[in-house]
Amino acid sequence: MSERDDKQLQEKTDPGEKRGIERRDILQGMATLPVLGLFGYAVHKQVSYKNATIAQTLGTAQASDLREVNVALIGAGAQGQVLLDAMLKIPNLRFRAVCDIWEFNLGRAIRTLKKYDHEVNGYEDYREMLDKEKDVEAVVIATPDFWHAPHTIDSLRAGKHVYCEKEMSNTLEGARAMVLAARETGKLLQIGHQRRSNPRYIYCYEKLVKEAKLLGRIVTVNGQWNRAVQEDLGYPKRYEIPAEKLRQYGYKSMEQFRNWRWYRGLGGGPIVDLGSHQIDIYNWFLEANPVAVMASGGNDYYSPETREWYDTAMVVYEYHTAEGPARAYYQTQTTNSSLGYFERFMGDQGTLVISESDANYANAIYREVTAPPWDEWIQKGYVTAPKVAEVQEERNVVLDVRESVSPEEHKIPIEFVDLYHRPHLMNFFNAVRGLEKLNCPAEVGYESAVTVLKVNEAIEAKRRLEFRPEEFEVS
Amino acid sequence: MLEERYTHLQMIGLVVMRVLIGWHFLYEGVAKLLDPNWSAAGYLNAAKGPMADTFKWMASTPDILEWVNFLNIWGLTLVGLFLILGLLTRYVAIAGAFMVLLYYLANPPFIGYFSSVPTEGSYLLVNKNLVEIAALFVIAVTHSGRYAGLDRIFYRLFHRKGAVEEREFTGATV
Repeated sequence: MSERDDKQLQEKTDPGEKRGIERRDILQGMATLPVLGLFGYAVHKQVSYKNATIAQTLGTAQASDLREVNVALIGAGAQGQVLLDAMLKIPNLRFRAVCDIWEFNLGRAIRTLKKYDHEVNGYEDYREMLDKEKDVEAVVIATPDFWHAPHTIDSLRAGKHVYCEKEMSNTLEGARAMVLAARETGKLLQIGHQRRSNPRYIYCYEKLVKEAKLLGRIVTVNGQWNRAVQEDLGYPKRYEIPAEKLRQYGYKSMEQFRNWRWYRGLGGGPIVDLGSHQIDIYNWFLEANPVAVMASGGNDYYSPETREWYDTAMVVYEYHTAEGPARAYYQTQTTNSSLGYFERFMGDQGTLVISESDANYANAIYREVTAPPWDEWIQKGYVTAPKVAEVQEERNVVLDVRESVSPEEHKIPIEFVDLYHRPHLMNFFNAVRGLEKLNCPAEVGYESAVTVLKVNEAIEAKRRLEFRPEEFEVS
Repeated sequence: MLEERYTHLQMIGLVVMRVLIGWHFLYEGVAKLLDPNWSAAGYLNAAKGPMADTFKWMASTPDILEWVNFLNIWGLTLVGLFLILGLLTRYVAIAGAFMVLLYYLANPPFIGYFSSVPTEGSYLLVNKNLVEIAALFVIAVTHSGRYAGLDRIFYRLFHRKGAVEEREFTGATV
């Protein structure tokens, strides 16, 4: 060791000469290279672990015998991406085409699909796509509401099955024409009220409400979707769509194109974007359509220049259920996100608080102290044992005659860790294969559209509006 | 030139530190690269402290955000790769320190600022980002790349006075 160092030292004492490279320099110079090999191996392991976990939750093994379905997507914006992400986790789908008038979205969707080995054709004009893509069997539509009717009807007539995002249409005429087109063509039309396929919602409805009747008679319902203040959506300047083309597709400006949800004639505002998901659940769980609606709302916070629809809406529905009258409240606002979003069904024996999200203090059921015990259902595993109430000795709580003891909280034993839209899309594709029935066919989507679109009407009218039962039917 | 002498053990310590930081950067970059939906918007929107408005503005301006995403992904990946390889070591250490400084400023553990994101530890003024910045500073002011790293090979090939400076790394025997 010291001998070699001496030798080296000697060499070093001659500074003017270029010393050149030795074996030792190469070795030491590349000493850290093997770390990259280790890194690559670790990343590979990590990725395969992740994929294996996903495959496990998706049950790819059993799904592998399912027939492959050719799919096209119309509308690759924010919601289109959400659906695309969910569909990429559904086995045996083959993407053929994507259509969007905005190059920015179209390019992104095509790149995403390419990453998953789907070679797709991009289109600006959906008619051209329907003409050329003869192999496509199912079309998924996530365009702005006012385009739903033409996109859906033309796709159905071109012989495709359709999954169309909610709200079915921004007008009832549009929605009605969609139902008729589905009947006429005999093709499937699923509307994107994705909670209809959510295992937690299905469990609560079928097991807790229907079978165990834990809520008793539901008399009141409330629900909300509260959101924090939101800025208008922007766009990268170099992707601006020329004014001419925007006009051709029904938009006045790029700002309107990006924020269509807030404009009359294009979307329906928050009550339609958010409320329709949850009010649809009211109809489902109460097994009835409402008989009347009162609503108050307005453009209380944002500039009416850029937000034509109401940023705040508070709604009361009246129902006649099989068990008697019920009232349901709903509110949505975009100024405060307190308690997020949930639906709460209140019966004379219990309360169900349910949400699509786990982040909203929801997904529990509470037994009224006056209700018969739930021991049987706890033993059967329908709900968990109650959470032990916190001891309040210090506070010396004395209940007034006007108060009641707080109900006990039980958890709903359904873990739902999945992309929200995946089960609903799966249901659609399995229906295309003839294996399942649609969870939200056109008729159900129509009833929901009638229920929700009337809110904007009621806000405008400033009075209680009644529904005639035949309003919910298409003939 | 430099009068300091470093023992082998000291140099190995520096190289190990450099490689570990490089690994951290590289995986942060690769993980974002593998996730087609990753965006810096979430982190930027959660920004706190004196520069919060600037970071939030970045998140809300699509043109800027696109660049921020691009620079983050590739900055992290390349800095990580080069740190592991010991290539242009001192320059990438400075670049890396600058990036981490931005992360630090976006969510600084200043007095009175409490992060709403659950964190895994307790920090006051000093957090792991700041420690990483300090470590990168050490990398930037030493020649670990010329001890073990591709810098050594390039140095040998292109630098005439290499012989003298090598003593910095092998000095113990003198």
